[in-house]
Amino acid sequence: MRMEWGSEVAAIFGRWNTKLLRQPIFIFFSLIQPLVWFLLFTQAFSAIGSLPNFEELTGTSSYTTYFTAAVIIQTIASSALQAGIGLVNDLDSGFMDKMRVAPISKSSILFGKLFSDAITIMIQVVIILVIGLALNVHVASGLLGWVMILIISALFGIAWSGISLFVALTTKSAQTTLSVGLLTTFPLLFLSAAVLPVELLPSWVQQVANLNPFTYIAIAYQKLIIVGFDWTAIWQCLVAIFIIGAISLTASVIVFRRKIS
Amino acid sequence: MKDLKKIYGSDILAVDGISFAVNKGEIFGFLGPNGAGKSTTIKILTTLIGKTSGTATIDGLDIDKDQAAVRRIIGYSSQEVGVDDDLTARENLMLQCRFHHMDKQKAKQKVDELLKVVKLTEAADRRLSTYSGGMRKRLDLASSLVSDPKVLFLDEPTTGLDPQSRLDIWEYVKQLNRQGITIFLTTQYMEEADRLADRLCIVDQGKIVAEGTPTELKSKIGADIITLRFKADDLTACQKAVDAISGLQGVKEMGTCTVGLAKDSGLTIMTQNGAAMIPQVVRAVDNAGVSLEQLTLSAPTLDEVFLKLTGKTLNVVERKQAVKGRGFRRRRRET
Repeated sequence: MRMEWGSEVAAIFGRWNTKLLRQPIFIFFSLIQPLVWFLLFTQAFSAIGSLPNFEELTGTSSYTTYFTAAVIIQTIASSALQAGIGLVNDLDSGFMDKMRVAPISKSSILFGKLFSDAITIMIQVVIILVIGLALNVHVASGLLGWVMILIISALFGIAWSGISLFVALTTKSAQTTLSVGLLTTFPLLFLSAAVLPVELLPSWVQQVANLNPFTYIAIAYQKLIIVGFDWTAIWQCLVAIFIIGAISLTASVIVFRRKIS
Repeated sequence: MKDLKKIYGSDILAVDGISFAVNKGEIFGFLGPNGAGKSTTIKILTTLIGKTSGTATIDGLDIDKDQAAVRRIIGYSSQEVGVDDDLTARENLMLQCRFHHMDKQKAKQKVDELLKVVKLTEAADRRLSTYSGGMRKRLDLASSLVSDPKVLFLDEPTTGLDPQSRLDIWEYVKQLNRQGITIFLTTQYMEEADRLADRLCIVDQGKIVAEGTPTELKSKIGADIITLRFKADDLTACQKAVDAISGLQGVKEMGTCTVGLAKDSGLTIMTQNGAAMIPQVVRAVDNAGVSLEQLTLSAPTLDEVFLKLTGKTLNVVERKQAVKGRGFRRRRRET
């Protein structure tokens, strides 16, 4: 059965990858808004980089460099929404029923999709980092840093996709999945270290930020981009991702199983 | 009793205590209007949704306890047409083969064979976004066959299709049945049930109202129908005919005289043996000095059976969206 699970996941993973190749535009949909921010927001607010203490706290005086983490997080969060929407489309088109009557395990339907989303996300992050080079954002931790950023991004993407899968399976509505995604992404982004260092945030926001998983993910990216490998930051980030993933994926699998029998 | 299927579902509203058995090798029809509980029944049997109570077995396998085994022996083609538009026909079928854990060589063979059956070999490497509704449905049918199912479930296989595609699907269904596949199909079309099903259930509001072969069901009406039309739609002539005919032996029931352009205007007579009655009817009418414009003899259709059993006509409103693509492309194709 384990062997079969692998081949089932591979079949579904392959299906989504083919779909992506046929409609490569989907890679760019979730990139557009974050890139606009990357190019415009950072220019308009470049003065943030020269705030007192900014360079001491972050290690860089370039707000664009600091903000790269926020761009990556926003892209991943927005891309993760597509996981749920893809599933809703399958529910509507009847394809889901086809998969469900086939003798395959429920979780392989979900994980095949999640792994394919992880590929999309890694492509998107590479695009962001390449554009970053043009904006004079250099990853301080070098090539291995790029790899680490991609690994964190894939894991974070899978964990965050779990939330959209859960919402999609519960509501069976693309509209709701989209709204829930948009409504959670922005507050979480702004109440974290992604936009400003925690120390510069008002004290109540600091408290929220310390509980906000985006903070730990943002700090890990920022360290890798600005300073280099900071294992404490990376571990904290991985723990945050693991907690989100454990909750969101377990919940999705449970809802998915229940919807069936 | 291995070939017996049973279900005593009671899904409060949708399916209300349905029981039936399907014999191995037959085409069994489930005929009823929208909302009769047909899809719910088929979804319970294909293990897609749970049931509130009751039991059902397929080929001796319990649909709850042996769910995995049931899935290996059934094929299912849903009303929604579960195919992926971004993939080609061949890719869709290959994917289904992989879902059934077939090795690559065998899968390739199977796919070629199925494409031939549904006549999609030439279009096999085109993406489905270029396919017509009929082609998509044919592919969907093929994809439910990759596992060589013993029992095939078809949920409204021709709803929303054009007449030619409908005939094609009927042909495939019969062909598959001849190969020994037991077929359970739901439909809202009388003609489809009449043409395809060896036996059928008429369902309405989650209950079975009648069960039998199409011929048995039609004989429940117990009559042939003779329709008379009179020259110039003459009502008095019609009345005279009524008086003359009502005395005849063998007339079971007579309609009232109607005039006008409607198809059923004139006088309808229900009788046991229509062919034998015609000379008597003609003589009686002739003796009464009434001249006829037209006389027709017809056998009852399942429409009349349905009307008689439920008091409703099975008026089918064509639902265009039944065969559809995904998302934004769907709308374009409909126009």
